[in-house]
Amino acid sequence: MKRFFLLSLGWLTGVALMANPAFVGRWRLDPAQSSALDGWTTLDLVVDVRGPLVELRHDMAWRTTKVTGTNTVDTTQPVAIPNFFRIDQRHMAVYAQPAKSAATTASWIDGHRTLRIEALVPLEVSQGDATQRIYSEYRLLEGDQALLLIELHAARPRPLVYRFTKVTAEEAKK
Amino acid sequence: MKRISFLLSLVSACVPLACAAPAPVATAPAGRDAFVMHFDGDWKVAGGLPEKVLLVSLQGLANRAAPQLYVVHPQDFQWEITGPLFNFYERKHGVRFTPIPTADAALARFRGAAKGYVVWEKAVSASMNVALTIAGLEDAVAVTAELIPLVEKHGLKKIDDLRGRYTGQTDAQIYQDAYNRYWARCTKDAIMLLGGHAGAVRQPAVADWGVQQKMFFEDLSANPKHPDELALAQRLFSELKPGSIVFGWHSYAKDTEEMYTTLLSGYGLKMEGLHNLPNLSFNCQFGFTPGFKFANNHRVARDAQPVAAEKVYVSFVQSDSIGIGVWTKPGRGKLPFAWQVTMNWTKFSPAALEYFHESATANDYFIGGLSGPGYMYPNHIPADRFPGLMREANELMAVLDERVMEIMDNSAADGNVGNADLTQATVDRYYAAFPNVIGFINGYGPARTRDLRGTQAMISYEYYIDPRRPREEVAADLAELIALNLKRPYFLLVHVRESNDVNSLVEVVQRLDGPIEVVPVDLFLKLAASKQTYTTRYQDPNEPKHFKGY
Repeated sequence: MKRFFLLSLGWLTGVALMANPAFVGRWRLDPAQSSALDGWTTLDLVVDVRGPLVELRHDMAWRTTKVTGTNTVDTTQPVAIPNFFRIDQRHMAVYAQPAKSAATTASWIDGHRTLRIEALVPLEVSQGDATQRIYSEYRLLEGDQALLLIELHAARPRPLVYRFTKVTAEEAKK
Repeated sequence: MKRISFLLSLVSACVPLACAAPAPVATAPAGRDAFVMHFDGDWKVAGGLPEKVLLVSLQGLANRAAPQLYVVHPQDFQWEITGPLFNFYERKHGVRFTPIPTADAALARFRGAAKGYVVWEKAVSASMNVALTIAGLEDAVAVTAELIPLVEKHGLKKIDDLRGRYTGQTDAQIYQDAYNRYWARCTKDAIMLLGGHAGAVRQPAVADWGVQQKMFFEDLSANPKHPDELALAQRLFSELKPGSIVFGWHSYAKDTEEMYTTLLSGYGLKMEGLHNLPNLSFNCQFGFTPGFKFANNHRVARDAQPVAAEKVYVSFVQSDSIGIGVWTKPGRGKLPFAWQVTMNWTKFSPAALEYFHESATANDYFIGGLSGPGYMYPNHIPADRFPGLMREANELMAVLDERVMEIMDNSAADGNVGNADLTQATVDRYYAAFPNVIGFINGYGPARTRDLRGTQAMISYEYYIDPRRPREEVAADLAELIALNLKRPYFLLVHVRESNDVNSLVEVVQRLDGPIEVVPVDLFLKLAASKQTYTTRYQDPNEPKHFKGY
């Protein structure tokens, strides 16, 4: 009986950790169906899953400038992510604090079709240090060819909504 | 307030270039006759450009002796004021304009101003600039091959022909040849950086001014990737007189505004844009109308000490030079708004400044800039040049009744984002050079240089409004800034990019919650000086710089 309980717990934990494989890959922002970027011209999101770890790489471009920022979250435990990357509105005087870490939690929800992340992001504003709570859901949409990122900032009265479409390996090379 | 006679004497004293040589800047006699041409918007090299180059070179020559030829551009031209200023000349200076419909008619009227023509080659773009240099030195009009019959019809003789001379040569080689041939005879008070649009479309509308003043025309690159061009640009700058002005604009095909302004600032030179700024050869010959004096809409006395309340203070500033800005857009006057004045226009376009002041509402407030007596990046101005340049800026601000100085240094920025901060040494120099201003504002995009010394606050932009950004997102951005900056008062300085309109900003303000007050920038700075809730900060040497400099 005890052995059965442990096996069941392990199975349940495994299920909880298990990502939908359709998340993995490169996703490209569809600007027409997304909140307007500010100070960025393009955005690709590259998702990789390794067990409980989910790597979210942001390939950003502004004119000829290219920036890559990666957050790796753990769906089993809180993690402190140094230099947390956020899709920032670059015309605002809100700056990252690269030397500090963002306390971050993550989990798979909605039958593993949504990745939920909550982060307390250290920032610098004109009055000094600030912390922004950012709640994000990465939702896999019907057909698995579109990904919706809904981002709520504790300090912002409107959500930021980014819709991505899957990029094939061939398209990614372009 | 200074009397108009003092204004004119000061302006004349400041002018390094003899406008309408040999006469100095002065008010043209009222009730004079002049001519006007209406340009279309076709600046294609394969279309309307060659004729326009012919006409602006003719304009520069025709306006040497007196203001005779003015050009009105379409409403969608970047400089929106040519129409309103045309009306201003009629109304305030009594100018009776006679339309000139065609290039043929212009040549018929002004052929006596030219001694001949010089031919440039469309396939060799730099040859246009060399031809314009020659045009100024030899009193020639600049033409392409297909226009030769037209100018010869009016009796003009060929002075020079650049066809074939520069085939296959690099721009560095072409301009080096031009340097060897012509530079010694060109003015050393100014240079014409005739870049801007490049390729199939070019807009050399400022060329009349360079021809009139016998400037050296070039579009050499400031990009370190083009070392030969950069080296020649540096040589030219080093041979200009101290405090000279670089007119025009950098080539959009070669380098960036940040690179060029960094480069010229390193020589203590002043930038006066743009490559398509029209009619300077005409405008410079009109002073202020009799009895006119600048009277800014000051909201606070220089020695006032208002105290900030526990609320959010918002102030809007428009720079980018008034003439290409929001001035003619809907809604001006509905909100307090600061306008950065191109102070050098007291020398080159007094009527334009008078027009702006005359049409200002009670909510329009003028401030000095940009960084000094011209567009410069102060982190790069040599320390020994800084005091003299800023003395000139102080004098211009006194003429214009301005009490706030706007500073911008994008040398390390990436366009309108990134590092736009001032070093502490630069901040120290500003406080030393401007003891009488109410305060300073800094940035273009957002920045984080802030200071308070005595009653003078230095505040950077907290936000830059991209005209393309949806207004609901702009309101959300501002709301987010307000929520992240928890202390009250909070001082929220907003830079309004050209081509925004004030009506849309009224909507943005209405979307914001809480105790918020939109105030003019002079009051804003006074309030910011009353209670420092912002950090003191300068450029951190460890922060990334998009362009490392020279």
